[in-house]
Amino acid sequence: MNDATNQAVDLTSQLQAQLAVIQKALPGSHESWVRVMRKRALANFLKLGVPNTRDEAWKYTDVRKYSARLSDISVEKPASAISVEALAEFHFKGLECHRVVIVDGYVSAELSCLDLLPAGVRVESMARMFAEEAHLLEPYLHDQHLSGSFVELNAAVMHDGIYIDIPDGIVVEKPIHLLFISHGRSEDSSHIRNLIISGEYSQATVIEHFGSLDSSRALINTATDVELHAGARLEHYKLQQSDLNEVNIGSVRVHQHRDSYYHSHSVAFGAALSRRDIHVEINGEGAECVLNGLYLVGGRQHVDHHTRIDHLRPNCISRESYKGVVDGRARAVFNGKVVVHKGADKTDSAQSNANLLLSDKAEVDTKPDLEIYADDVKCAHGATVGQLDLKQLFYLRSRGLSMDEARNVLMFAFADEVLAKIKIPEVRRYLERVAFEKLPHGAALEGMLV
Amino acid sequence: MLEIRNLHVSVDGKEILKGINLDVKAGEIHAVMGPNGSGKSTLSNVIAGRDGYEVTAGSVTYRGRNLLEMNPEERAWEGIFLAFQYPVEIPGVNNTYLLKAGLNAKRKHLGLEELDAMDFMQIVKEKADLVELDHSFLSRAVNEGFSGGEKKRNEIFQMAVLEPSLALLDETDSGLDIDALRIVAGGVNKLRAPDRAVVLVTHYQRLLNYVEPDVVHVLAGGRILKSGDKALALELEERGYDWVLEEAAA
Repeated sequence: MNDATNQAVDLTSQLQAQLAVIQKALPGSHESWVRVMRKRALANFLKLGVPNTRDEAWKYTDVRKYSARLSDISVEKPASAISVEALAEFHFKGLECHRVVIVDGYVSAELSCLDLLPAGVRVESMARMFAEEAHLLEPYLHDQHLSGSFVELNAAVMHDGIYIDIPDGIVVEKPIHLLFISHGRSEDSSHIRNLIISGEYSQATVIEHFGSLDSSRALINTATDVELHAGARLEHYKLQQSDLNEVNIGSVRVHQHRDSYYHSHSVAFGAALSRRDIHVEINGEGAECVLNGLYLVGGRQHVDHHTRIDHLRPNCISRESYKGVVDGRARAVFNGKVVVHKGADKTDSAQSNANLLLSDKAEVDTKPDLEIYADDVKCAHGATVGQLDLKQLFYLRSRGLSMDEARNVLMFAFADEVLAKIKIPEVRRYLERVAFEKLPHGAALEGMLV
Repeated sequence: MLEIRNLHVSVDGKEILKGINLDVKAGEIHAVMGPNGSGKSTLSNVIAGRDGYEVTAGSVTYRGRNLLEMNPEERAWEGIFLAFQYPVEIPGVNNTYLLKAGLNAKRKHLGLEELDAMDFMQIVKEKADLVELDHSFLSRAVNEGFSGGEKKRNEIFQMAVLEPSLALLDETDSGLDIDALRIVAGGVNKLRAPDRAVVLVTHYQRLLNYVEPDVVHVLAGGRILKSGDKALALELEERGYDWVLEEAAA
């Protein structure tokens, strides 16, 4: 047997040994459908194994060297070691939010604040939902429509996460801020499941935000299901500022019904390896989906975005724009697929991925992908990989900006085009400041924020 | 202020400037005229420090210093300004930010205090009015979506804010209607001072109706073939460039 097979056998036996211990502690095990779902998912995961680079969807992203982290699943720890003040650096200055803090994969009631939620809106711990109201989850989780190794593993061992239910017609004005914090973790993993149900003509903003308070070598595996009923509007943020040793993997699956609007902002700044899958099924006429993304990576970071938009009904709109700045020996992968199914006539879809490559040791693999089986559609896609524009650099220097300053200004301007699409000014400012910190001598750029 | 001696410059191995000699003294306005492809833009780009121009012989001295050893931003700090023939669009970079960063970098270099936001905005608004630039342009991205004339006016606006000691205008008059031309000329005339100099690189005599040059040079085939006073510009307007070329060949 070769090493890879050995590792796989090791992982399987370690995982099974651990599951034997934690099985009973996993929420929902008193429900037979949950037991069946978990068992099936585990079998699927063991069959699929940890993805390797022969798998088309993981061709450029090798996660196998982090497999060991999967064999140890994070267990709940008292969160008292963290103070609310310590989390201030992850707050959006000047913006009030409904906030849930999830420490090392488990919801911390003490650190969360949901007092001001509008009546009828539910934001709950997933563990509690499994324990007390599992029947509300069944329609969404029983039918395991997410796929792939990490989602299967997530279904098998998920231990907590957030459940959000916004009733019909309710507008949640303040953003719901889900803050996932790693707090001094070794090589273990957490498997978080979120569920967002947006009722008819409801409106909300949900921010999934990942950060760490001190160094962390964890693997975070998140799966988020989003159900948008007719006319619902959701602004969904994924802000990833993980520790540079962390592995952050996440899937989002979105179901859109008629006239619904889904707007995703996916920002990846941190982590050793970051992988985001977003799969949107537009399954109702008149629906619209907008996916924006920004990644800033350097050093030996690896960032991978896979998106898929399925147009299943006529007269729908999708827009996708991802941009990335890739420095050092970092590698960025983008794969954006749009499928316009038979009958999805008059689909209007546009997609782009633009990359700024700052070093000759950095690498970008980008693949926009379009499949059309309908008539009278308008679809555009394109990808670019380029360097800083020499004419622009000279222009700025001729006005007195130093070489470093001119480079910074152009990098930031490139990235800020994505952040400019963020409708909440406080969140935009917050991310701009984080972006500055990622750029060399970035602090000098504060003046750009006019 | 600026002394150019026997300057030879090549681009991609092809010699464009073939021994330029030029003296520009403080307080003077020079016009460098010539047919297309004569090397006029190469001359202004070399002075501003653009990459891609190889100086194979000669020297350029600015206020007693070897200009060719200075990088573009140092030249800007020392008071050199190039108004570009084709100003580049820079999406995402605010016009005012660019000027503030440029002006403060220059002040820092000169040992002056940085301007505070209020003082700076006052200067910027004054200068914008001077070149009749709508204040909405201040908060727009540099040149993005500007018309040709607006881009040229923006260059003159930047010049007015940065107050250079040596301004080079590379065909700033090309493609301008008469109103815009007057505004550009007004900006240059306002800059005129005993301690400053201007080099107007132009194809046409038109601008010189509004800005009176002290010296006019004819640049052709990479050499300055003839120099004279403003009467030379009028003669060029009347007779074209051929007679200068013939005279030089004779």
